[in-house]
Amino acid sequence: MLRRDFIKTAMAGTALGVLGPAARANASTDILWMTWENLAKDDYLAAFLDRHDISITKTFIGTDDEQFAKLRAGGASSVDLITPGLDKVEYYTASDLLQPIDFDKVPNAALLYETFNATSLGKVDGETYGIPFYWGINPIVYRADLMDEEPDWSVFFEGDAYNGKLAMRDYALEGIMIAAMYLGIPETEMFDMDDKQLAEIKKVLMIQKSKLRTYWNSIGDLTNLFATGEVVCAFSWVPPYYDLKAKGIEMGMAKPKQGVIGWCDTIAVPKDVSGARLDATFELINYLLGPDYGKMLAVGGPYAQSTSAARDLLSEEEQDKIFIKDLSVMDNFVWKQNPARYNDWVALWNEVKAS
Amino acid sequence: MRRSILSVGDWLALPVVAALIALCCAPLLILLAYSFFQVDFVTISYDLTLANYAKIAGSETYRGLIARAFGSAFLVVTLTAVIGYPVAWFVAKRVHAAKSTLLTLLLVPLYSGDLIRIFAWRVLLGAEGAINRSLMWLGVIDEPFSGLLFSPLATHIALTYNYLPFMVIGLWLAFESLDDRWLEAAADLGAPAPARFLRVILPLTVPGLVAGGLMVFVMVAGDYLTPQLLGGASGITIISAINDLFGTAFDWPLGSAIAWTMLSILMVCFGLGALAIRRSSLVAEDV
Amino acid sequence: MTSPSPRQLDGRGRFVRPLLAAFKLTKTYGTVHAVRGVDFALAENSYVTLLGPSGCGKTSILRMIGGFESVSSGAVSLDGKRLDETAANLRPINTVFQNYALFPHLSVLENVAFGLSYRDVAKTQIKLLAMNALKTVQMEAMADRRPRQLSGGQQQRVALARAIVNEPRLLLLDEPLSALDRRMRKDMQIELKDLQRRLGMTFLHVTHDQEEAFALSDQIIVMRDGLIEQQGAPEAIYAQPETAYVADFIGGAACIPAEVKAREGANVVLETAFGSFAVPGVSTLHAGGKAVLCVRPEQVCVAQAETEGKAQLKARVVHQVYRGSDWLLDCTCGDQVVQVLHREAPPSVGEDITLAFDTAKVWAAAVEARAVTPPEAGAV
Repeated sequence: MLRRDFIKTAMAGTALGVLGPAARANASTDILWMTWENLAKDDYLAAFLDRHDISITKTFIGTDDEQFAKLRAGGASSVDLITPGLDKVEYYTASDLLQPIDFDKVPNAALLYETFNATSLGKVDGETYGIPFYWGINPIVYRADLMDEEPDWSVFFEGDAYNGKLAMRDYALEGIMIAAMYLGIPETEMFDMDDKQLAEIKKVLMIQKSKLRTYWNSIGDLTNLFATGEVVCAFSWVPPYYDLKAKGIEMGMAKPKQGVIGWCDTIAVPKDVSGARLDATFELINYLLGPDYGKMLAVGGPYAQSTSAARDLLSEEEQDKIFIKDLSVMDNFVWKQNPARYNDWVALWNEVKAS
Repeated sequence: MRRSILSVGDWLALPVVAALIALCCAPLLILLAYSFFQVDFVTISYDLTLANYAKIAGSETYRGLIARAFGSAFLVVTLTAVIGYPVAWFVAKRVHAAKSTLLTLLLVPLYSGDLIRIFAWRVLLGAEGAINRSLMWLGVIDEPFSGLLFSPLATHIALTYNYLPFMVIGLWLAFESLDDRWLEAAADLGAPAPARFLRVILPLTVPGLVAGGLMVFVMVAGDYLTPQLLGGASGITIISAINDLFGTAFDWPLGSAIAWTMLSILMVCFGLGALAIRRSSLVAEDV
Repeated sequence: MTSPSPRQLDGRGRFVRPLLAAFKLTKTYGTVHAVRGVDFALAENSYVTLLGPSGCGKTSILRMIGGFESVSSGAVSLDGKRLDETAANLRPINTVFQNYALFPHLSVLENVAFGLSYRDVAKTQIKLLAMNALKTVQMEAMADRRPRQLSGGQQQRVALARAIVNEPRLLLLDEPLSALDRRMRKDMQIELKDLQRRLGMTFLHVTHDQEEAFALSDQIIVMRDGLIEQQGAPEAIYAQPETAYVADFIGGAACIPAEVKAREGANVVLETAFGSFAVPGVSTLHAGGKAVLCVRPEQVCVAQAETEGKAQLKARVVHQVYRGSDWLLDCTCGDQVVQVLHREAPPSVGEDITLAFDTAKVWAAAVEARAVTPPEAGAV
């Protein structure tokens, strides 16, 4: 596994470095976007390509870590735009791989929701390096037919009613954030907890483990577990809720008051991009934050853009589906951040799982 | 003449062999180098240190996970050996015309891919799975027994099932080369059936047992998918921990150090296995 | 036909029980009748060979005695006790297998000692006895080697030592010399015979090589198609073959078809395509029956001049083989091939010659041992 990843990463880096410039030599302005496949569908981008003398080459990523590894392995010089998670931008800036966003060239950025303006994530010394791009929440999804009431985070830590029927994502960052929210640790302290707090976290996570059916690793697998009734309630992503509802299962989705885990991906520009390519890249960023793209993403995704550019073009139902009908949900957001002692978090998470 | 023809072969094979060795070893050596570095957030410091290995030695979690990986591997080797032994004997000694068909059938599960087999076990062992439904229909139990799936039991059943073919193939080869006359000779010399097994069959199939066992051992020790998807809340493996370290935690040095610890233990196992085969018989040096 | 008797007479005319007796011993594999009800007996301290071509059933008999095959019907007993009811490992019989079947994972010494651990032998004695057995076959220097490190002849000796160390009542040898080269085979024949005499043990040796059978045996049992064709002392088998098959298989006699005209005491008068001859023959031949005139290569010569008192045949040389000390000529008399042993420069191929033989030395044998009877498969 690790060896394969290593080779894959190394080879991808090499391939980008060698082939990238050669393959694009003919186009007047071609930009290379490293992103998730579902964000760069042809119809999403058609309007942009019609209006500009720019072509886009897409490279798809499988995980955020893979993207980071590729950049570090030398891909930075040939990629014009990348799509890191909001909490991961710090990795790139710490490795000096990015350049700041020039807001003069991205007028649509003025439409960013306040929460994205306010966040300190993606920024270094007041300069924005990763501009929030699209977002969503990771809610609790549950079988409404098998549960009496809407659960909150405490369902994973208290009571016996659902013992052996719960599932938690196998991800140290979110797992520990949830425990911290359950314990009432405020967002300001959450990512910089001391030993005592971490010990408390570990204690409740041990209790949580005893209640779990399993930790899940792929959303498809979790959907399957919901469908077969092996799991009735899980910290989840949104898709199982809609997928299983469409199949006639009565599903519920809870956004706990203690805090909703929000996720957000940014777009960021590697350090060495300059000249016409840089201009073209900012054109694309502006388009990605604008109404045409936002509407496509809201309907096709369905995912919410980080700006309000497309909000008024959507029906209430469409707005509701991407959580922008009632914007107060954003008040409860807890954005994922990179914890100062992340290695300790991962170790703690593994300790709990291995116990 | 003969010599010169062979040496042409040597020269033709050399680049391929060399390339293969280089390609196999290079990533491992890079990992080995990394295992002596340190990481600070995303910056890797290249000062050589044994801190990663010290961390592994000092961590109950990593020690426990490594022990669990090899414990599981050993258990599955034992189970596959016990099940595979009679199967291999049957295929090698009792089946004649249908031998290749039977061997192919034995390998069929391997064609279907890890995930499919794992999900097949889910269907069988789940709360609404075939076993629970049958037991409920028979009235043995009133409500589904959920301990079947998402337990070490499920993991080890699936691992045994997954890797049984490798054990059988190893043993089958050993049984194929086990001459029936050795058994007749042992009987002729007065050995009763149990002694014929212990003194002739067992030692002469040790190479197959070791070869099959090593294959199974390595594969089980490296399998993280089966425990992850069937083992439930305690389905963590040292491999998924390494994965976490490389991916989420960006601690390549510690991940490399654990990987190399595993690799070293596996190499010791291989060494012991090779020694066992050597001592067992058939490859004693010729005069 | 020899009438097989489970009882034998000793030197003073008393009945003695044979070591091993087989009675209507039968082996069938599915529809194949490998052994079709044979009777024979083995005396104490004798060297007996089962001789016949491959597929004649000799190996099946050996394997039934050894206990590696079940007896389909009939019985075999050792020292008066039924063997077919005893498991192989409990029979006081040991075997030297065709390819020796030495245990590859054990040293030579461990191989030889293997059987001793299942006998009533003190642990401390085992090594001593095994070394003694190795000395008997001059292999004590190889005690620590593995079988793989030995030559074929050495493995043969170890296999012998492994069998005799258990002091079996009966030693079975399954084509033990077939894997050896000719020279080694000759040496081992002498050693086997010596060993049997020294040990006073009974050896039952299966072979397809008639020379080997003659070199070793006190008694030869000639087999054909699952039945015994003839059994007796080698001299009797050679000089008085009962059937055309035995005459041909042993010593390559030409078998000239004949009709029995009359019996004159020990002689019979045979009418053949080449004339009428009065020759000694099998006692069962009677006037009016069919027979064969058996003429061995060494019993016939190329007539130099008119040879008085000898029968003569017109023949043509069709082939000659130089064998060092002599020539073997293939001659045709009509459509009958007769082989001739010739000591001097032979007539050339294609030459017409006259062959002569002494009617007192040739032999009249039956065409078949018996009317071919259907096998007793129903009895299984």
